[in-house]
Amino acid sequence: MAGSGSGGSRADNGYGSQQPRRRKGPGALATAYLVIYNVVMTAGWLVIAVGLVRAYLAKGSYHSLYYSIEKPLKFFQTGALLEILHCAFGIVPSSVVLTAFQVMSRVFLTWAVTHSVKEVQTEDSVLLFVVAWTITEIIRYSFYTFSLLNHLPYLIKWARYTLFIVLYPMGVSGELLTIYAALPFVRQSGLYSISLPNKYNFSFDYYTFLILVMISYIPIFPQLYFHMLHQRRKVLSHTEEHKKSE
Amino acid sequence: FVSYQVEILDWKTKKQLCFLDKVEPNATIREIRLMFHKLYPQWYPARQSIKLDPKGKSLRDEEILEHLPVGTTATLYFKDLGPQIGWTTVFLIEYTGPLFIYFLFYFRMPFVYGLDERFTSSPHPVVNLACICHSFHYIKRLIETVFVHRFSHGTMPLRNIVKNCLYYWGFAAWLAYYINHPLYTPPSYGKKQINFAVIMFLLCEAGNFSIHVVLSDLQRNGSKIRKIPYPTKNPFTWLFFFVSCPNYTYEVGTWISFTVMTQCVPVGLFTLLCFIQMTIWAKDKHCTYLREFKDYPSLRMPIIPFLL
Repeated sequence: MAGSGSGGSRADNGYGSQQPRRRKGPGALATAYLVIYNVVMTAGWLVIAVGLVRAYLAKGSYHSLYYSIEKPLKFFQTGALLEILHCAFGIVPSSVVLTAFQVMSRVFLTWAVTHSVKEVQTEDSVLLFVVAWTITEIIRYSFYTFSLLNHLPYLIKWARYTLFIVLYPMGVSGELLTIYAALPFVRQSGLYSISLPNKYNFSFDYYTFLILVMISYIPIFPQLYFHMLHQRRKVLSHTEEHKKSE
Repeated sequence: FVSYQVEILDWKTKKQLCFLDKVEPNATIREIRLMFHKLYPQWYPARQSIKLDPKGKSLRDEEILEHLPVGTTATLYFKDLGPQIGWTTVFLIEYTGPLFIYFLFYFRMPFVYGLDERFTSSPHPVVNLACICHSFHYIKRLIETVFVHRFSHGTMPLRNIVKNCLYYWGFAAWLAYYINHPLYTPPSYGKKQINFAVIMFLLCEAGNFSIHVVLSDLQRNGSKIRKIPYPTKNPFTWLFFFVSCPNYTYEVGTWISFTVMTQCVPVGLFTLLCFIQMTIWAKDKHCTYLREFKDYPSLRMPIIPFLL
C-alpha cells in the first residue's frame, strides 16, 4: 500500500510526511550505515526509473513494462524490510509497528499479488503503482540521505511533501486495480487457499482475503492522506527551523 | 500548622479549573480527587489524572500533599482519562463472551454452518470434550474474577474493552467454528493424543488456579505493598522456584494442551499469540520485581524455567 519510514521519521508512509526528529539520533557508525543504505536505495530506484524509460523508448508503448524492471523492483522493494530492523534497533526513531505495516504491505503487493498471479503482470495498473512507487522512493531516500548529512536542499523537502498529493492516489489506484485484476485468477486456481476437511482443521480463502485487503484501503488511505496534508502545512511553513511536531 | 492552597490546571490549556483553599498538609491525592469531583461531578476520581507536570505521570491516591515537591501553594495538572470501567466488569464481559459464543457453534445454530446442519451434533467424542474443556476454562476464569483476583488498578479506559472483546470474542468464534465444523477431522494419533492432552489440560488448570490463590493471598488485607510470591506446600506452586509468573506459564500450557487435543491450527495460532502477549507481561512483571526487591531469587526467569 504505502512506503515506509527510514532515516528518521514517524508516521511516514513513503509518499511524504513528517520530518526527521532532532533527538539524540544514531551514533556515528549507525549514521554512516544509514547514509550508505539510503544512497544504495536511491540508486536502486533510479535504476528502476531508468529501466522504465529505456524500455518505453525501445518498445514504443507503455504496456507490459513490468518485465523490464521486475528483478530490481523485487530486490529493492524487498530490501526495504531492513527498515523494520532499523526501527527495532533504534537507529531510526520511527515506530516498528507502523514501519512494519507499511513495508509489509508493499512487499505483499510485490510478491503475493504481482509475482504470484502471472496474468496481472501485463496490466497497466501495475505500471501505475510502479511509477508512483519509483518517484516516491527516489525522493524519499534522497531526502533521508541529505537529512543525515545535515544538508537538505529545499527542493527535495518540497518535492517530498508535495508530490505525494498526486503520487499517493496514483499508487493506491494502481494497487487496488491490480488486486482487483488478480481476483478471477485466484478464484480459478485456488491460489494460496486451503479448504476443509484436512487434518489441521484450517481453511483459508485467498480470494476473500484479497477482497478484505481492498476494503481495508477505505479507512486507511484517507487517514494517511490527510495526515500528510497536515504535515505538509506544518513543514513547509517552517523553512528556517525544523520544529518538533507532536 | 500551615494550610496549603492547591490550584488545579488543565494539562493542555493551562486554564485554572479549580482553586482549593485551606487544604491540610497531610491530605492525600485521593482526598484532592474527591474535592475536585465535587466541583466537576462528571469527572469521577477514577477518571482524573492528577500530576505535578503536564506531561508527567499520574499521582497515586496514597501520595500525601506535604511530601510532594510543591510549595504551600501547589500547582497540579489535570487530565481527563475518559470514561473508565472497573477491571472486574471488564473481565466478566471478556470471559462471558467466549463461553456463550462457543456454544453457538457447538450446538450448530442455523446461521453458522447452514440450515442443513442446524442443531446436528458431531460424531466425534473429542468435540464434546473440547466444549467441556473450553467452557470449564472460562467458567473457572469467571469464578476467579469474582472470588479470587485482587486488582491493583481500579479501572481501565472504556475504549480498551471494545478492543479486548473484539480480540477474545473474535478468536473464540474463529476456533469454535473449526472445532465444531461438520468437516472436522479428529487428531491423528487418536485416543492417545486426546487423553494425554486432557491430562495436561487439567494439570495446567489446577496449576494456574493454585498460583492465583497464592497471589491473592499476598494481598489479603487489601494492602498495596508488593511482596515476593513464594512456593507453598502445594506442588503446583513449586514452579515459583523457577519462574516469576507461573500463572502465565500454566496458562500457555493450558492452551497448548487444547491445541494438541483438537489438532486445530486456529487454536495453535491463538496459543501463539497468548504466549507472545504473556511473555511480554511476564518480562514486565519480572523487571518490576527485580527493581523493587534487592533479594529477589536469582534463579527465576520470567515465564519459562531457565529459558525466557
